[in-house]
Amino acid sequence: MRHNFIDRYSSLDSPLHTLESRTKLLAFAILIVGVLSIPTDAEAIFFSYLFAAAVLMGISQIPLGYIMKRMVVLLPFIMLAAVAAPWKGYAGFGALAVRAVLCLILLILLTNTTRFAELLCGLRRFGFPQIVVINLGFLYRYLFVLMEEAMRMKQARDCRRVGRAPLTEELRILSSMLGTLLIRSFERAERMHSAMLSRGYSGDFPVVAPRRFSWHDIVFLAGTSAFVGATIWAR
Amino acid sequence: MTEYAIRITRLNYSYPDGTRALQEIDLDVRTGERVAIVGPSGAGKSTLLLHLNGVLTGSSPIKIANLNLERSNLQQIRSKVGLLFQDPNDQLFCPTVFEDIAFGPLNLGVPAEEIPARVNKALRECGLEQSIGSRSSHHLSLGERRRVSLAAVLAMEPAILGMDEPTSNLDPRNRKRLIELVSRLEVTLIVATHDLGFVLDVCSRTVVMDRGKIWADGDAQTILSDTRLMEEHGLEVPLPLKAETRP
Amino acid sequence: MHIPDGFLTTRVALSLDVISAAGILFAARRARIDLSDRIIPLMGVLGAFVFAAQMLNFPVAGGTSGHLIGGSLLAILLGPMAGFLTMATVVIAQALFLQDGGLIALGANIFNIGAITCFSGYAVFRLFKGKSGRDNRLAVAGFLAGWFSSVISSAFCALQLGLSGAVPLQIGLAAIPGYHMIVGVIEGALTAGVLGFLSRVRPDLLDTNGAGRFRGADWAGALVFIGMPAVILVLAGSSSLPDPMEKLLIASQSHVAEESALSGIDFLISGTIFTLVIVTGFLLAFIWRRRSRP
Repeated sequence: MRHNFIDRYSSLDSPLHTLESRTKLLAFAILIVGVLSIPTDAEAIFFSYLFAAAVLMGISQIPLGYIMKRMVVLLPFIMLAAVAAPWKGYAGFGALAVRAVLCLILLILLTNTTRFAELLCGLRRFGFPQIVVINLGFLYRYLFVLMEEAMRMKQARDCRRVGRAPLTEELRILSSMLGTLLIRSFERAERMHSAMLSRGYSGDFPVVAPRRFSWHDIVFLAGTSAFVGATIWAR
Repeated sequence: MTEYAIRITRLNYSYPDGTRALQEIDLDVRTGERVAIVGPSGAGKSTLLLHLNGVLTGSSPIKIANLNLERSNLQQIRSKVGLLFQDPNDQLFCPTVFEDIAFGPLNLGVPAEEIPARVNKALRECGLEQSIGSRSSHHLSLGERRRVSLAAVLAMEPAILGMDEPTSNLDPRNRKRLIELVSRLEVTLIVATHDLGFVLDVCSRTVVMDRGKIWADGDAQTILSDTRLMEEHGLEVPLPLKAETRP
Repeated sequence: MHIPDGFLTTRVALSLDVISAAGILFAARRARIDLSDRIIPLMGVLGAFVFAAQMLNFPVAGGTSGHLIGGSLLAILLGPMAGFLTMATVVIAQALFLQDGGLIALGANIFNIGAITCFSGYAVFRLFKGKSGRDNRLAVAGFLAGWFSSVISSAFCALQLGLSGAVPLQIGLAAIPGYHMIVGVIEGALTAGVLGFLSRVRPDLLDTNGAGRFRGADWAGALVFIGMPAVILVLAGSSSLPDPMEKLLIASQSHVAEESALSGIDFLISGTIFTLVIVTGFLLAFIWRRRSRP
């Protein structure tokens, strides 16, 4: 089974991909805060951010169609905000929507140009609690294993099902599937723990040194900070 | 004087729910020996392997290379005994292959600057490219995953290697590669398996286990061709041996 | 409801970032989790379980599908502290893998989906389960925990959106928890169903020991943790109070909530429009599904 719906583009080889993960985390966080602070009536600043996002999208080599498809997650919130638009003014609503879209594009660019293992390294370096970083690592690794198990169970269920059962029956079936998956997860954790102990694990999760900063990183970070600074100053 | 890699005397073990998994196990393995443990599913083979490095502890102490296995020397024992688990997914728990192979050596206190060399050596030993290191285990095939698991164990440079069903679910080509690979290793080997062809190719000695007890222990060829013994314990005489005994 | 970036003001979002970070540190400390313990891989795998569980779904009505969110279930299985830490990881992963929820809004989402579901779900479960371990009590407590945690967490989401001025408070509070009162039934039923299944098949997994112990001090901590944002949010939302961050982020005032003075009629109209939009969406999805079927 192929699982490329999560880290599909993170192993491309664009200039954005080669940057260090801490650089990108910091730079994109700065950019997002910058977007959030664009005033409603500052059209020029909106356009400069849209331009910057377009440039980054171009550099990243991530297909435009993919980015567009991910916009779906905004829908419920845009809808809620749209209801309020008649009272609060359409300009405000428009600005809100554009800000949300810009932020999402930036987040997509960040997560799709960085391998997850490197992102974890960056988070660890930024002082994220170790327990969270370790958990994220396990989650990433076992996500695929468990999804495969879930898919197989789903296929087995669908093979035996004809038509649609009443809701209560569906809930009962799904509960026992989830329960089975849960028990398997418990058992897997038990075996993983044995495997960890066998390789000398004693509570400290060691890592090898992360990549070093290069001048590319400094240029990128300086560039984004200067850009955000300029847009705030220009107001 | 014979040197023993493993000495187990009268080992008993019960699971927390009271099931008796191991009963009065006696097993001595000489250094450099290659021993197969065969028997039906649920015979206690995997449980026995988990005792070799103290993940489970039974009633009586085990000696590994003349050391009594105790809490105080657990780390030392675990650096000597490598275990290959049946499901590579249990064993490869890190985001990348490199981190997985580096995990053991780092825990043993190998300095960070020596790690890349260790990882690459282990990859080479298992016939894998160096570039596989940056990939995630879930992008690999089962054959590759099993070899990466083996590399992760070998990177700790163990003197004793315990393997649980190393050939299960492998296609013939990958199985053959694994057999060649394991035959080349210079370690004391103890393999729990159903793959009797593998036993014939790799091991010189065979132990038959069933319902937590050892029923036979001796030369691999002799034991595997004993039709009655094999059938009594839910096993089958492997094809190559059947052909020989036919008139 | 994973809030994307752009819907919360920087002030609301950043204060919740700080609160959630403090909450994670607090939980990591109070849970007294020994890093060599088996609970470490267990938390990771159960986090992955929550992800995978969302794939096991079934169609409910036109377009939407029922699946498990899992916060209260994790809190019941692992104890609220470890459950919260696991859910926090899940929320971070959802933002990083699926862009479900924003980066700056991460604190808000960890708070709503992690902290609120785990602590409220666990509290409700303990309240209704009582001492007896009878199966029907377990199911009832599980159902209420799942339903209540889903509704209360959505109410917090509406509150934050309202204070940020993205969605008027009245509309948000009517629509978002209202929707979750319906969807929450599935969450409740699945939580109860899974607990019932476990109690039949592996009852040993249900008596949480060690990490599951929750003492008076922990309850106090959890209450402060949950109560803190209520105070801070109100402070951050009302622009009459001096705000130190205002100097830093001048712009946020530009789209801070203008006190939306909606009358009852406005509220009614907006509610109706919202319901109509939702119903139309459902209908369209339903028709489309019908047509795409052979």
